Amino acid sequence: MAGTGFFGWLRSNSEHYLLIAAHQKLAKEQGSPAPRPPKGAKEIFWLKVFAPTYAVLPWPLRSRIMRAMPGSHRQTWAAPPRSQGPAV
Amino acid sequence: MPRKTVIIGGGAAGLGSAGGVKAADPTADVVVYTENEDVAYSPCGIPYVHGGEIPDFERLFLAGKQAYVDAGIDVHYETAVTAIDTAAKTVTVAGEGAVAYDQLIIATGWNYADPGVPGGELSGLYYVKNIRRAMEWDKVISETKSAVVVEAGPLGLEMVTALAHRGVETHLIDPNPYALAMMADPDIMKPVEDSWRELGVHLHFNTTLEAFLGDDDGKVRAVQTSGGEIAADLVVISTHKTPENSLAKAAGIKLGSTGAIIVDERMKTSAPDVWAAGDVVEIPHGLTRTPLQGLTGSHAYAQGKTAGTNAGGGDRAYRAVYVPWGTPAGKWVIGGASFGEATATALGIPYVKGEAQGISRARYYPGVQPVRVKLLAEPGTLRLIGAQMVGGGEGIKERADFLAQAIRFGMTLHDLSTMENVYSPAIGALNEPIVVAATNGVAESKKKA
Repeated sequence: MAGTGFFGWLRSNSEHYLLIAAHQKLAKEQGSPAPRPPKGAKEIFWLKVFAPTYAVLPWPLRSRIMRAMPGSHRQTWAAPPRSQGPAV
Repeated sequence: MPRKTVIIGGGAAGLGSAGGVKAADPTADVVVYTENEDVAYSPCGIPYVHGGEIPDFERLFLAGKQAYVDAGIDVHYETAVTAIDTAAKTVTVAGEGAVAYDQLIIATGWNYADPGVPGGELSGLYYVKNIRRAMEWDKVISETKSAVVVEAGPLGLEMVTALAHRGVETHLIDPNPYALAMMADPDIMKPVEDSWRELGVHLHFNTTLEAFLGDDDGKVRAVQTSGGEIAADLVVISTHKTPENSLAKAAGIKLGSTGAIIVDERMKTSAPDVWAAGDVVEIPHGLTRTPLQGLTGSHAYAQGKTAGTNAGGGDRAYRAVYVPWGTPAGKWVIGGASFGEATATALGIPYVKGEAQGISRARYYPGVQPVRVKLLAEPGTLRLIGAQMVGGGEGIKERADFLAQAIRFGMTLHDLSTMENVYSPAIGALNEPIVVAATNGVAESKKKA
């Protein structure tokens, strides 16, 4: 049972439809199998309005928006360990 | 007086937690509540018993019940926890009432996403998860002529292959244009799909489930899809994992955009003295920091160790993930780490690609197998951001593990194109496919510069 309000709704829809848009793009570029065309107002909105709008936003802005959403990423997480000079 | 840690859930995260608590504080009272009849078995092994690769379910049990008694871990089987009160520091246990804790660890795992179509109450719908039920379903599979697998997620891939190996007429329906489309790339999955067709599997992509259709006895007889009706004696539901967050949500513990519990690097939740681990939590991706939920058993176990160690008074940090993954599918093994082309494209992350078709050992040595490697790197720096592979089996898992570490430590295509590799005819090729793919990626980036 997920049910996480607006952010859950936004995340699940954007994840789903951005992936479909990516499948469309790969199909055009590589000849891979294409998803079926969108049908209904909901699919048309997400694929014809949301996905192209998201695509024109610069990555730093998209990244900032994603990081602004509530989640574990906003807690404390250690950076990957880095080498600290010679081992021997 | 020893501190009491209550753990809800007996899967990899729950038992990892129990071990972590005991390691940090051997005197601690550790109580595990599980709704199942067993703990310490591998649910991930179930499809391989169904497929005949593993001869019996007994082999999936990793430890007997006595092992936990000996370790001082009090496991309550077939016992439901129905509520958490973080203010009173109690859990409500069916048949026991309110049970106090000093520390609580939530490891309630996952459920299959509700298919959300009519007919969900019919018999003959198999949700692969519990080993005792799997033993019963295995007998059903023996008498099954035709089956439909709903959705080509990781478990769907394994069950399609397993049913085909059992000689069942198998149909796969999936709303996406190819299998495992939420994480893998179409070119990686193409050989897998071809091998399924060779096994006689009927693939129905871009096909949506509309209803389960039953007979007069309330047993499934077919599925209704956007492409028509498919007859089936058995339907395997392998929709995506959703976090089993109902207890946490009702207790007011904060959830993230994935619906899973928000935790920090110590697996601490928003509630005092409450930790969580496994599929019920979300963990940030190491590159984008986007939280992810529904990782693998190895992630769940390591998170459990972390939660348990910290709950026991120790100090242990879990880290953001780069998600090495892999599985057999059809006659191939597929795998990768971090982003593929489909997921990077979906997020709008630019990438340079390096690809190679190589071999797993010397070409003249018996048993040599193909290995296809695709590497994705950040343009300019050529820092690795993802990888996907398909091959005959040898070394796919090890390459995925290695490449996840390479991504984690910021290695570039330059680094990989000059890496050392094992050469010995029986186990390694002169030209390591990762090196060739990285070299090709460097050349590709120069063309684009």
